[in-house]
Amino acid sequence: MTFSWKRVNAILQKDFKDFSRNTAVSIVIFLPIILAAVYGRMGLDSIQAHYMNINMTFAMVGTYVQCCLIAEEKEKNTLRGLMLSPASTLEILGGKSLLTFLLTIIIVFFSAFLSEYKPANITIVAFAIVLSTLFYIGIGTLLGLVAKSVMESSVIVLPVIGIFTVGSFVTAWTEKYPILKVAEFLPNVQLIELAEKVEQGAGFVQVFSNLGIIGIWVVVVFALTVVVYRKRMID
Amino acid sequence: MENAIEVKGLAKYFANFKAIEGVDFHVKKGEIFGFLGPSGSGKTTTIKILTGQLDPTEGEAFVFGENVSHLKNPKARKRFGVLTDNSGLYGRLTIYENLKLYCELYDLPLHKIDEALGFVNLKEESKKKVSTLSKGMTQRVILARAILHEPELLFLDEPTSALDPVNTLHIYEGLRALNKKGTTIFLTTHDMQEADTLCNRVAFLNKGKIRLLDKPSELKKRYADSTLTIELTNDEKIQLRKDAAGAEEMYQLMKENRVVTVHSNEPTLGDIFVKVTGGELI
Ligand SMILES: Nc1ncnc2c1ncn2[C@@H]1O[C@H](COP(=O)(O)OP(=O)(O)OP(=O)(O)O)[C@@H](O)[C@H]1O
Ligand SMILES: [Mg+2]
Repeated sequence: MTFSWKRVNAILQKDFKDFSRNTAVSIVIFLPIILAAVYGRMGLDSIQAHYMNINMTFAMVGTYVQCCLIAEEKEKNTLRGLMLSPASTLEILGGKSLLTFLLTIIIVFFSAFLSEYKPANITIVAFAIVLSTLFYIGIGTLLGLVAKSVMESSVIVLPVIGIFTVGSFVTAWTEKYPILKVAEFLPNVQLIELAEKVEQGAGFVQVFSNLGIIGIWVVVVFALTVVVYRKRMID
Repeated sequence: MENAIEVKGLAKYFANFKAIEGVDFHVKKGEIFGFLGPSGSGKTTTIKILTGQLDPTEGEAFVFGENVSHLKNPKARKRFGVLTDNSGLYGRLTIYENLKLYCELYDLPLHKIDEALGFVNLKEESKKKVSTLSKGMTQRVILARAILHEPELLFLDEPTSALDPVNTLHIYEGLRALNKKGTTIFLTTHDMQEADTLCNRVAFLNKGKIRLLDKPSELKKRYADSTLTIELTNDEKIQLRKDAAGAEEMYQLMKENRVVTVHSNEPTLGDIFVKVTGGELI
């Protein structure tokens, strides 16, 4: 497997130009920032409120935008062009994820700043955020590859966004409906749990299980994405 | 001489429908090979198999001696260029920006963009947004992208279907020049004239099978008619055989000053196609 930063960077540059001229999709990135500013003004600074914001960024930028970008490459047959070029699977998927990755990280940072979220241990939280970003981008890529068109992608992405953001509320009902306990393994629930532990002074060792579970999600989604991508290489 | 393409017993079924069946041919290095056939005969299907976009149901295909299933290797993809009807461009980017991406993917210097744009006669329009281009211009940008890296082998699926005559001739010249520099060209078309002017050899494809394969000149010789058509002063047209009896009759007609025109009935590739397949070209 070859890997050249030059090719990854070429795809990133192209995506940046394309995205900045695609206002219908690029407008979405301002949503989390506005929400964060409102929360900051309202003085909502519980971990739950901060992570409402962060999860929103993950869902809208990491998953929704990524899904649209990938689905458009497919619909317009430009993905086919990339596949026929000397770029490898890793370079194409890496290049196609880099823009949304950077956007997600930047917007999470800004929203955290605006809603005045100051984690007790920035290293752990930053690490967990990066890991989660990878998961949400992976889901977006996967859905974009599965969808037949941009229209279809923006429909199928909604329930998925629902599960991975609203999921955190579901845990409140686990006493009544034990089946919902599985929701505790959702990456977003794990991230909030991790963030709360960090506020209580936890170190890397105490949050290892949370990071591990998120990590497993990342690996599973990435593996699925590569499998679906390889299938898509052949009509 | 090694072959650029070798195809043995190739077949592709879509469910029960046989898109191509028992297709055998080879393309020599340095050749311009024409793959001719009416709409739906399986031309695009064959190109897709040869470029690794589609797996064959039966048979084998080799490009530069390598089975096409190995085209998943990015290095192998550097050696060929493709233009098909499912090639896409980025609509929000300019022509130049589209080609710049490919320059970087192929690790080429940026001055190659100008060369490629000259090839397709689009130098002046390089700053135009692709979404605003006409169909023929879009097709030319895709062609520019396919030849950007001067590939050893070029797959062209109906490269001039949307072009006006002037641009078509310009592209022919460019393709011939590229071929002189060593690029092997595999070309599909349903334009028999195009095949005749460009190709060293042609294969006639109909309903998924190759019906005939040879040099255009050989085909014309083989299917040449042994008659002449004579137009007479009274607007009558008669056929004369090219033998002694025909010559005798011709002598008489000319002596009586009754001959207006004389045509040899050399068939066009189109005529031959109709004869062989019993069907019209679309
Ligand atoms: N993905 C597919 N699923 C089902 N049938 C297909 C598929 N792709 C092609 N076919 C069928 O295979 C046949 C050959 O198609 P192909 O596209 O190769 O024709 P073509 O010679 O390129 O025609 P044209 O000149 O119109 O481009 C057609 O009848 C087409 O309907
Ligand atoms: Mg076709």
